[in-house]
Amino acid sequence: MELFLSQILNGLAIGQVYALIALGFSLVFGVANIINFAQGALFMLGAFIAYSAIAWFGLPLIPAAIVSVVIVAILGLLLERIALRPLMGAPYIAPFLSTLAISTIIDQSAEIIWSPESQPFPASISSTTFFIGNAYITVTDLVIFGFGAAATIALTLFVSYTWTGRALRATAQDPAAAAQLGIRTDVMRQIAFGLAGALGALSGILVALYFQSVFPQMGIPFGLKGFAAALLGGLARIPGAVVGGLLLGIGETLASAYVGDSYRDAIAFSLLLLMLLVRPNGLLGGGKLNALGGSGAAAGAMPTTSLLASASSQLSATRAYYLPAWGFLVVGAAFALVPLLVSSTYVLQALIYGFIFALLAVSVSLVSGAAGILSIGHAAFFGVGAYAVAVLARPYGLSADVTLLAAVVLTALVALIAAIPLLKLSGHTAALGTLAIGQIGFLVFLNWVSVTRGPMGILNIPHPVLEVLGGLRFATTGQKYWLVLGLVVIAVVIAERYVSSPIGRTWRAIREDRLAAQASGLPVRRYILLAFAISGALAGLAGGLFAYVQQVVSPESFTVETSILILTMAVLGGLGNLSGAVLTGFALAILPEFLRGFEEWRMIIYGLLLLVALRVRPQGLLGAR
Amino acid sequence: MAGEGIIVDNVSRIFGGLRAVDGASLKLARGETVAIVGPNGAGKSTLVQLISGVDKADSGTIHVDGVRTDRLPPDRIARLGVGRSFQTSRVFPALSVWDSVLVGVQPRLIATASGRLLDPVTESLGALLGLPFWRRRVAAQEAAAETALKLFGDRLWPRRDQPALGLSYANRRRLEIARLLAAEPRYLLLDEPSAGMNPTETEELTQLILDLRRSHPHMGILVIEHKLSLVRRIADRVVVLNQGKVLIEDTPDHALDHPEVVEAYLGRPRAGSNFQDAHHG
Ligand SMILES: Nc1ncnc2c1ncn2[C@@H]1O[C@H](COP(=O)(O)OP(=O)(O)O)[C@@H](O)[C@H]1O
Ligand SMILES: [Mg+2]
Repeated sequence: MELFLSQILNGLAIGQVYALIALGFSLVFGVANIINFAQGALFMLGAFIAYSAIAWFGLPLIPAAIVSVVIVAILGLLLERIALRPLMGAPYIAPFLSTLAISTIIDQSAEIIWSPESQPFPASISSTTFFIGNAYITVTDLVIFGFGAAATIALTLFVSYTWTGRALRATAQDPAAAAQLGIRTDVMRQIAFGLAGALGALSGILVALYFQSVFPQMGIPFGLKGFAAALLGGLARIPGAVVGGLLLGIGETLASAYVGDSYRDAIAFSLLLLMLLVRPNGLLGGGKLNALGGSGAAAGAMPTTSLLASASSQLSATRAYYLPAWGFLVVGAAFALVPLLVSSTYVLQALIYGFIFALLAVSVSLVSGAAGILSIGHAAFFGVGAYAVAVLARPYGLSADVTLLAAVVLTALVALIAAIPLLKLSGHTAALGTLAIGQIGFLVFLNWVSVTRGPMGILNIPHPVLEVLGGLRFATTGQKYWLVLGLVVIAVVIAERYVSSPIGRTWRAIREDRLAAQASGLPVRRYILLAFAISGALAGLAGGLFAYVQQVVSPESFTVETSILILTMAVLGGLGNLSGAVLTGFALAILPEFLRGFEEWRMIIYGLLLLVALRVRPQGLLGAR
Repeated sequence: MAGEGIIVDNVSRIFGGLRAVDGASLKLARGETVAIVGPNGAGKSTLVQLISGVDKADSGTIHVDGVRTDRLPPDRIARLGVGRSFQTSRVFPALSVWDSVLVGVQPRLIATASGRLLDPVTESLGALLGLPFWRRRVAAQEAAAETALKLFGDRLWPRRDQPALGLSYANRRRLEIARLLAAEPRYLLLDEPSAGMNPTETEELTQLILDLRRSHPHMGILVIEHKLSLVRRIADRVVVLNQGKVLIEDTPDHALDHPEVVEAYLGRPRAGSNFQDAHHG
């Protein structure tokens, strides 16, 4: 009982921090109708700038915190200016992807500046412990809770009583009406981003104090938790964000106390998915997250749930270029000749990775482009396929026909189940749901040691043997090249057949207007689940082949970075356009081979590519379909 | 409550405190055309939302051909043969005109004889392998789509490869109706089909509905319409809705010239009959 009460007090402290992150999301969502994916990156920067001010410049904690909050607030303003303002009138998907790109760039830059390792935070608050009755609480917890609560109250007072605050609220309620009252809504957007930056930095510092460490990858999990808290509270309200944050903090702390600390995040993200499943509009309601895209109608725009359409509805009319299904057979046949001409294992190996990522990009393009659910979690499906093969081929010694088939079926099933919480969602919210799925997958790979062998991974996966081909063994790189190429081509042909069949047309209709599709008699859920199952099957095959090629499977191949990379490939190729996905997936996968010595710049380059593409060619290289 | 037709019985829908639909009852039989008129905010669109399952009633029951539908999802109701248009017409912006109409026939493409749906595996195999049974179905549905598009003369058919978002306002409305008709619904619910149309286009629409009545003698048509001259020409019955309640239900001439209607509808009493169209904003 004492433990229970102590955990609750402890959870309140961290929950207050989640509430602050959530408020950053809520402010921006309210005013600009955007889910700012980079909120987590701003949070991480807040922690690191305070860290540097203390460790490098010897500032005391408080001035260091102030410096950090000011700098990150300015970065928030810049983010709006650089990454979002130029995208006014671009497809709905663009601002979100733009913040995703920025977040990737910031995270990777932080790894370069501060090293990817975790660092101890050089300041602490007294670790004296108090007892309240039988429950205990540390001074750190109290201070964090106090600061968090004070910041929340200050923000509430600000939006309730100051002119600027009221203008913010007016803009959130009705931008057009606010503009008519003489409020500069563009300035309000900037203020919202600035405030979100400040809140992000403050929460980053509090988390650094709480866990006594900082690391560049902290942005995404905490950002996601902040988003979960915001969603829990209905996304666009201050009290909601606070209640959501506190609930999440308590739930997670209790779970980690009773289930195990390594499952802390997995439980938090599962809560998010559960939440999306049962109350997609948050515990306290809030009708803004209508998956059916009804709100656009009121504004006079053409109602649509499409990620590719824009408010001005002009963009998606651009032309798409794509191969018919048999075209992939021709391309595949041409590539099949390569091992006869090139003997370098190095080149063949690079091409193999190109094929695998082409398939992954197709997998994302199918579900994100055709069915319209942006996926930032596909690394999890990729990983399920890889682990399926690793486990069945190594300890059980099964042949490749069995293992690959198992990888395909199992991943299809996992993707199908993972999609269930996403069914009521669309747009940005669904994307964050997939991010949670990706994170859960990674955490399971990392922590389910009895099956996955944890961080060590599974080593020495044997060469694939196909029993259907009379026990044919693929031992050399050249032989594996043909195996991978052959299976990837078959998979892509099937995917293309789907996309250009009536099923693909139905997916696109669902993407374009889910409500109209359903009112036309289409079983929308069934088609979305089908899209996920097929996408999962493709990713599972990619994972299985990857396991055979690498001969090692470990969690680091299936991080959120991988998910972002695959999504970037699909977007750059033109969402829903499988030919584009094949092209960019292949090209971006072999690109690092030309960047030897600059590996750490890889994600930055991808991020920049995405950012530039969103400005100059948001429909992708070959055009979205 | 068995029997043919759409039967709406004592249905209410409350938004916050607002009774948008307040104990409304109405019946649409196959083969008849009923018009719903009433001032803005009377609850007409909400009623269509409830019948089509897009929104759920707080109380009351709705039956379609003897099947209780007020708890069913919209796609099930649509597959019972209820096709509806939206007040702000909803087309699939990036889809071509031809594809949009084919989306309308997709539920029939995957329907089985017993009224259920093909399982996804059979559907996938049919689509991927182009099996004969599948090709026959596709051909039949494409024929239905072509017929539906050609109902609109040269308004839509020559534009079948253009994306829907490039269509004019009136053509989007036509496309939406074509998509509904391609599915050969038993009941057609149209929410202000003539809104935003000029007199010529309105006349075309009137003719289309009159033609439909002739060519589809077993289809029930429910039209929400502000243009009273149109209503008089197409409707067998008129239901006047005001503040969520059915005020009057009668023949067009009786209903539209009823003093209470004239007052509720136009906001002021008017002498004599009115052949003028009501304005709406
Ligand atoms: N989703 C909704 N949420 C809240 N109020 C609504 C909603 N839909 C309709 N209303 C309200 O219900 C009333 C009836 O609306 P509606 O059925 O659209 O009227 P009509 O179609 O007759 O003009 C109006 O006052 C409208 O504001
Ligand atoms: Mg209406």
